[in-house]
Amino acid sequence: MRTVLIVDDSVSMRQMVGYTLREGGYEVIEAEHGADALNKLAGATVDLIITDLNMPVMDGITLIQNVRNLPAMKTKPILMLTTEGLAAKKEQGKAAGATGWIVKPFDPEKLLQTVAKVLP
Amino acid sequence: MKINLSQFRQTFLQESADHIASMETGLLELRSAPADIELLDSIFRAAHSIKGGAGSFGMTNLVRFTHSLENLLDRLRSLEMQATDEVIDILLRSVDMLRGLLAADVDAAMPADALELDERITALLPSETSPAEAAPEETPELVEDTRKMVLYKVEFRPDRELFASGTNPIVLLRNLAALGTVSCCHVHCEELPTLAELDPSQCYLSWTMELASLCEEAELREVFEFVEHLAEVRISCSDALQQSGSTLSQESAAAHDPALASAGAATELVERRKAPVADRRQSDVKDRRQSAGRPSTSGESGSIRVATDKVDRLIDLVGELVIAHVMTAQMVEDFEPSCLPRLREAVAAMERNTRELHERVMGIRMLPVGSLFQRYTRTVYDIAQATGKQIGLETNGEETEIDKSMLELLGDPLTHLIRNAADHGIESVEVREAAGKPAEGVISLRAFHRSGRIVIEVSDDGAGIDTDRVRRKAIERGLIGPDAQMSDEQLQMLIFEPGFSTREEVSDLSGRGVGMDVVKRNVQQMNGTVTLVSEKGRGSTVSIELPLTLAILEGLLVRVSDRTLVLPLLSVIETVPLRSEQIVRVAEKGEVVVIRNESVPLLRLSKFLGLAPQSAEVDAVNGNANLRRLAVIVQSGQKKIGLVVDELLGQQQVVVKSLERNLRRIDGLMGATILGDGCVAPIVDVTAIGALNLYSLQASTKVSPQIAASVRAAGAASI
Repeated sequence: MRTVLIVDDSVSMRQMVGYTLREGGYEVIEAEHGADALNKLAGATVDLIITDLNMPVMDGITLIQNVRNLPAMKTKPILMLTTEGLAAKKEQGKAAGATGWIVKPFDPEKLLQTVAKVLP
Repeated sequence: MKINLSQFRQTFLQESADHIASMETGLLELRSAPADIELLDSIFRAAHSIKGGAGSFGMTNLVRFTHSLENLLDRLRSLEMQATDEVIDILLRSVDMLRGLLAADVDAAMPADALELDERITALLPSETSPAEAAPEETPELVEDTRKMVLYKVEFRPDRELFASGTNPIVLLRNLAALGTVSCCHVHCEELPTLAELDPSQCYLSWTMELASLCEEAELREVFEFVEHLAEVRISCSDALQQSGSTLSQESAAAHDPALASAGAATELVERRKAPVADRRQSDVKDRRQSAGRPSTSGESGSIRVATDKVDRLIDLVGELVIAHVMTAQMVEDFEPSCLPRLREAVAAMERNTRELHERVMGIRMLPVGSLFQRYTRTVYDIAQATGKQIGLETNGEETEIDKSMLELLGDPLTHLIRNAADHGIESVEVREAAGKPAEGVISLRAFHRSGRIVIEVSDDGAGIDTDRVRRKAIERGLIGPDAQMSDEQLQMLIFEPGFSTREEVSDLSGRGVGMDVVKRNVQQMNGTVTLVSEKGRGSTVSIELPLTLAILEGLLVRVSDRTLVLPLLSVIETVPLRSEQIVRVAEKGEVVVIRNESVPLLRLSKFLGLAPQSAEVDAVNGNANLRRLAVIVQSGQKKIGLVVDELLGQQQVVVKSLERNLRRIDGLMGATILGDGCVAPIVDVTAIGALNLYSLQASTKVSPQIAASVRAAGAASI
């Protein structure tokens, strides 16, 4: 089973994305912020990261930059989960190495479609 | 598949209440640090999170309002705008509005005041920003059957750096293939270098795919949505299907790229992945639900967030208890005298278990007071704004844990005390400066543990209590006689009497029709005590002392006449044998016992509670020393009182049952408990007894018949 790491400081958002993914047949790991995510990555094999951008301790962009420096995660897909309608933020994420994005509030079915879009 | 997210609504509401509270705290801090980026960032994040979640539950008003708010906060955190007092004020109002919108009906129209505030926020923003509509994205409409089959030719030339974005080109091609029927897929390997020169992290390949599909070109483009910046994608089409690259069959496509053996297979693969996993339990999500560390401040929901490890430990304990019970039951079943030691051991184990279980269950109800303290920053801010005073609030000991029900009961008394301190205690800037004090008055709110109890202290460095004025007022109100002899301390405590208010005109802020007596009553309801220390010109300190928990207490069982009573062990200091020569009768005032040169007033419980005195009692009072009596010295607030009892029966944990539920409130009793033998034993309310004016009580020879009747009723009640 494929494993998805969800990074968001909002518990309800983690629960909702987590539930959707589990319903879609994925294994889910949760992290509260970027630094927490990097910790979790050290102990697990992850096939996809879905991350919020605005988070305390370590934000999403910094996380993406850090993840791309991990040998095991160099080419794994990363989706940004964000309400940012601003193109600038998206560009920043893409420049850091994000694969794509999911817009909040998300439609569960669409989220699964997007995940399927990037996961082999 | 339909995935329903409404089950997470409660979590969202609770979390948002937390966010709102932290926004409020942050905004108040912002006043002294208007350019603190980190602070602004955290306030922005809170608004942002609320907006993100609100959309999922169709709370469009909340989404709309937070959207404007977020725009403003974004300007602030990028320092394009300054957090002036006006801006902070609007933001604080917005916080109140968020609270309202969060509680409002989902279908309700946007309230007028919200619209107005929204306009004010928008007006603050530079004019060129027209806030983008934050309506949730519409789900794509269903593909209509009327669409024409089109033959597309898609060229996909990724950059060398494609892999660095985590994109797998094969996945993209499969997704593309899933949109129709692939007639040809050609991989271009021309750029592939020799093995020695090949860098495996680079993408050297490109593809051309021919695809017959009912989809629009835009839908095909959507497949490449995420790689627009990393690839060249060219899509051309011809309506005429017969013009397709007929020379290339599907087999040739398969030959080019085995991964794309057939579009059908690829589609199937995607479908399979999307299929729901039937045996996955929904409760999984709940199991994994994490404790957020900080408790919720929202009072409206009757739930508590508990860390999973706490629950796990409880389950373990219950398991052990069940085992211990089975063992005991078995031993009792085939009992022989030789089993006794083992039986004792088993019962002891059960007791240990029960005790730990009790502690841990109580622990679940314990919440840090910090969440309560937080809200007073706003209270103080509002009063300072309204009165033009400068007031700061310092808090201390936020992590001190307290029973949840007490936390709720404490809210109002603390609000009242803080309002009182800010409104009556702290002086205006001019008065303070004239008195040589710093312009800003400080109210400090502290929580700490003291000998097994929790103390919450509200102090201010304001004017203190004017005892002369209190005396005048008390005489005016008929609370004391015109020539009553009272210490300053006693006079100060009068402000807690019902109907007492030193202000001629009730102030809009601290008035509101409740007096300090409500504070006292609420605290007493929690078996707590209130004490006040005040010095004129230097300020006042009100201390609220509370037990750790309400439901169970360690009791000292005593016999008074023919009745068993329970004294809360925490209040008991010592027990002394009472010899008649130690008892000193003070004329008109009653009896005191002298212990180590300290005179402690005595209260005969039998008389106070109207229990039939034993025949020997009269003798004892008359100096007949034959009867052995005991005085249990208890502490009530700052006072010591000796309670006269006939016998000590032992010490035991008792479960406090409310009398009010079955009878009515009785002064002097805090409740009753059921003893091991099934008897009902009243629990003496030491706090209430301490509040009595003992001398005057003893001076009157008759006890109120009301109390006497109540005690008899309580004793007679069988449950």
